[in-house]
Amino acid sequence: MLKVLDFFNYARSKSPWIVHFCSGCCSLEMLAAMGPRYDWERYGYIMTPTPRQADIIFITGLVSKKILPALLRTYEQMPEPRYVVAIGACAYDGGPYNDSPSVIKNMTEILPADVFVAGCPPKPEAIIAGLEELKEKIKRGEPSASSQGGLWKQMKF
Amino acid sequence: MNIWEILFYIFIFPGLTFLLLWTFFVFYFSRKALAYIHKRVGPHYNGPAGSLQTVWDIFKLLTKESITPKSADPYLFNIIPIITPLVAALPVILIPWTPIINHGHAILDTNYGVLGLVVLIGVEPFLLFLTGFGSHNKYSFLGGMRILAQMISMEAPFFLAALSPALLFGTMNLYDIMYSNTWLTTLILLPGAIIFIIAMLGILEQPPFNIPDAEQEIVYGFYTEYAGTNYVLLKFAEFTEILVVSAAAVTLFFGGYRGIFFDSFWWLFFKIVILAIIIVAIRASNPRLRLDQMLKFTWSWLTPLAILNLVWITFAKIYILGV
Amino acid sequence: MEKIKEVLNKFDMEYVEDYKPTWVKAKLKNKDDITKVVEALKEIGVRSCSTVSPTDYPEENRMEINYFLEDIENKKNVWLKVDIERDLEKCEIDSITPILESADYHELESYSTFGVKFKGHPNLRYFLISADYYGKFPFRKDFDWDEHEKNVIENVNKISEEFFEEYEENEETMGHEGSRTVLHWGPTHPASGPIRLKVYTNGENIEKVEPDIGYVWRALEKLAERKDFIGTIVAVERICFMDNTNPMICYAQAVEEIAGKEITPFAKYMRVILGELGRTVSHLISLGGFFGTMGLQTFLMWCLDVREYFLDVLEDYSGARIATACIEPGGVRYPLNDYKAWFAEIDKAIEKWESVKPDIEDIFLKNPLMTVRAKDIGIFTKDDVIDNYLQGPIARASNVKTDVRLDEPYAAYGELKMDYVTCENGDTRDRLYIIYKEINQSIDLMKQAMKKIEEGIEAGEMDPKKDHLVKMPRRMPEGEAVSRVEWARGEMLMHLVTMPKSTNPYRLKLKAPSVNHTRMLEKLLPNHTLSDIPLLYGSMHICQGDLDR
Repeated sequence: MLKVLDFFNYARSKSPWIVHFCSGCCSLEMLAAMGPRYDWERYGYIMTPTPRQADIIFITGLVSKKILPALLRTYEQMPEPRYVVAIGACAYDGGPYNDSPSVIKNMTEILPADVFVAGCPPKPEAIIAGLEELKEKIKRGEPSASSQGGLWKQMKF
Repeated sequence: MNIWEILFYIFIFPGLTFLLLWTFFVFYFSRKALAYIHKRVGPHYNGPAGSLQTVWDIFKLLTKESITPKSADPYLFNIIPIITPLVAALPVILIPWTPIINHGHAILDTNYGVLGLVVLIGVEPFLLFLTGFGSHNKYSFLGGMRILAQMISMEAPFFLAALSPALLFGTMNLYDIMYSNTWLTTLILLPGAIIFIIAMLGILEQPPFNIPDAEQEIVYGFYTEYAGTNYVLLKFAEFTEILVVSAAAVTLFFGGYRGIFFDSFWWLFFKIVILAIIIVAIRASNPRLRLDQMLKFTWSWLTPLAILNLVWITFAKIYILGV
Repeated sequence: MEKIKEVLNKFDMEYVEDYKPTWVKAKLKNKDDITKVVEALKEIGVRSCSTVSPTDYPEENRMEINYFLEDIENKKNVWLKVDIERDLEKCEIDSITPILESADYHELESYSTFGVKFKGHPNLRYFLISADYYGKFPFRKDFDWDEHEKNVIENVNKISEEFFEEYEENEETMGHEGSRTVLHWGPTHPASGPIRLKVYTNGENIEKVEPDIGYVWRALEKLAERKDFIGTIVAVERICFMDNTNPMICYAQAVEEIAGKEITPFAKYMRVILGELGRTVSHLISLGGFFGTMGLQTFLMWCLDVREYFLDVLEDYSGARIATACIEPGGVRYPLNDYKAWFAEIDKAIEKWESVKPDIEDIFLKNPLMTVRAKDIGIFTKDDVIDNYLQGPIARASNVKTDVRLDEPYAAYGELKMDYVTCENGDTRDRLYIIYKEINQSIDLMKQAMKKIEEGIEAGEMDPKKDHLVKMPRRMPEGEAVSRVEWARGEMLMHLVTMPKSTNPYRLKLKAPSVNHTRMLEKLLPNHTLSDIPLLYGSMHICQGDLDR
């Protein structure tokens, strides 16, 4: 039985599909990661138009207060098991917008991310490296960080 | 036909295993070919040259949570994805796949082969409309409505073009059509073949007619709410339909499994792959049409041309073949 | 110019003076005259409102409203000021939207952030700000940020509640019968980006569109007030990452004007090269994205391939691909230690672009299906452009000759050979062609600027290792400046106000073109079908980063 589960974990780790969600500037570097020079499809990553078929949601940089309900709702619509990847300094503590009142500063407390990629914006290589790290986590069969807790459960959306 | 033979047909060839292998192949092939045109590499690290990528994709989707939205009709939403691949796979028995099975005939060798093929292919979009209808999502429903509009307008030229070889050879038996085909008749049938391929793009929702699942307009059309296993089943149906329709095109117009030097399944496969390359090339270089433009194109150009094509076939039959 | 002054002098003005070659600056004494002044100006051709920018002076208990008006055809600008009282109840002025409709969204923005009530505005409502700021006017100097920050979760719940209310309202008004419905196009839609278009449809036909913006509102204007003059670059360059360099040029010019410093010719030419690099990088995405909206990814991928080479150039100079921060007040940030190697890198990128050009023209620009989709729809006439103040490539596609680089030359653009690039029809396809033409123009400008730098270095007039930066004072004098640049997607205007001996901006108004372009969607989209939304929306080259700021 364990072997079978391992096999499915392996399959899951090999085909991470990512939902389109653009909440900040870092999605520009995601576009570059999709492009010919970096081409993340080599590793099996692919963008899906709807959250229903996705495994991973990206927090692309800043999350303003107004888009947060939409982001959480998109996350809710994804089927289990689902993972969160936060890219860019803004997703960690607001980054350059740390002084700004309309940006969420504790995004990783609200929706805990499995992998955080630093940079403003991170280079495409870094994004792919971060995703590869997430693959290892999926392969080990660990539960995702956001399913363990986070403020998002207290929010209305 | 004994029981083992029937089981072989259902589960191995041309049934489940073959269709699954085809799904793995065509998913991988289209991604790789598209990536080549995009100046990318495409799947590369999972398996030799990325060939296992789609295998992992499908196993992953099978283990995902299957979601039925609260507002969706649970029966319609979950039953249609089971019926769709079955209906899509049915025409497989009407096509002569290889000289080995059943002395080269189709498994169901009937004199109404063309008719059966066209009808079974034509039912498919209606089921997809029901998926959109059952999802109770605005975008899914719009996708469903679009697929109905497209089906009704695309099937007229599709029928008429499929009739042209039957008219030329005076038979609806696919085996006879295949064996009556010569280099000369292939040339005579070429206009019909082109109309058939254009209409086929519409039936299969391939660009430039991928209007029902237009990602930028209505998210993912009727696929929008589907997750996990249901999505796999729908995708499986889609790829099976691609196989069936392109096999039908090859059998009707390009001599099926007949080839130079020897007859074999591989000739059929080779011709289907060439057709798939044409589809991918069109997909990679042409934007999508608008719904009203598609309607205008089919009704004021494609359908009249298909009728003219029948006139041409009759003319050729009398004056060129001299029957 | 004389005509404008004549008209202005008819009214009760504090002063009317010349400002920069193409500007007239005036201050109105009585706020009730504003509509009459604007009407009189409209009669002599000043038909566009660039932006409305209030400045808050709590000590003097006044709110100064700056109107930036423009006569696009004759290249004349008017900067009109008027004082109003600051108290929330009395903070009101007549709206100029009924006269100049391009002021619409700018007035809404001023109302939402400063609480200036515009009497007579056709639909005065909260705009841009999220629901937790309703009635609080966050850009006023006395607004307490930290107090507001304490309960994030409650604030977010308040925003969610607004969505739920709207949902219920739609359920009631639209119902489930018939073919009418509201589609929310965004913010999670694959082609939308963080904006929401409320699309009222009847089947596939669009009846009405209402843009809902503010999903990436970062309050950059307020953020700038909390940083020093160098640190503000961080806020300014993040207006939009697609074209990163030009906003910094705009900001640097405003600071230099207040400090009264002139930068070196080398830095001017460097600004041309960096600005055009930014424009090329941005246009390559616009070009590919246009086809992306019709479901064709190939062209986007090809453009991304070329774009990487241009990003290499930026990375080589500044160390960052996108967030370069390479232009600061006083010149450009880094010296060019090996200018030949850097120019060789630019040449490599240009060569890459030239090598794909024939394929692009044959396969994509002449594509018959693209022509079928995009030709003769979404046409903007010259009047549309002027009345709604559309800018940049969108205006030039409709054969309106406007380009800040030529109208009000900045950096070294005055010394380079260039001309307006325009298209004839102003339809959707022309808005694609104009982008393609502008990339070629940018590359031509880069080549010219590189040649000038090389000549200057050979003649010993420029030193690439020392000339890049002029020393700027740490504390700025009191002053006010307006600076404009031609950004990739249109004109960018910045209005900078400083206090005596200040280390940080007192007020920085950022005006970006996407606001007016988004407003234009309300008029453009009705009577088209759902399939046209992504195409027409993509053809406006809107970026949400500069829409919300």
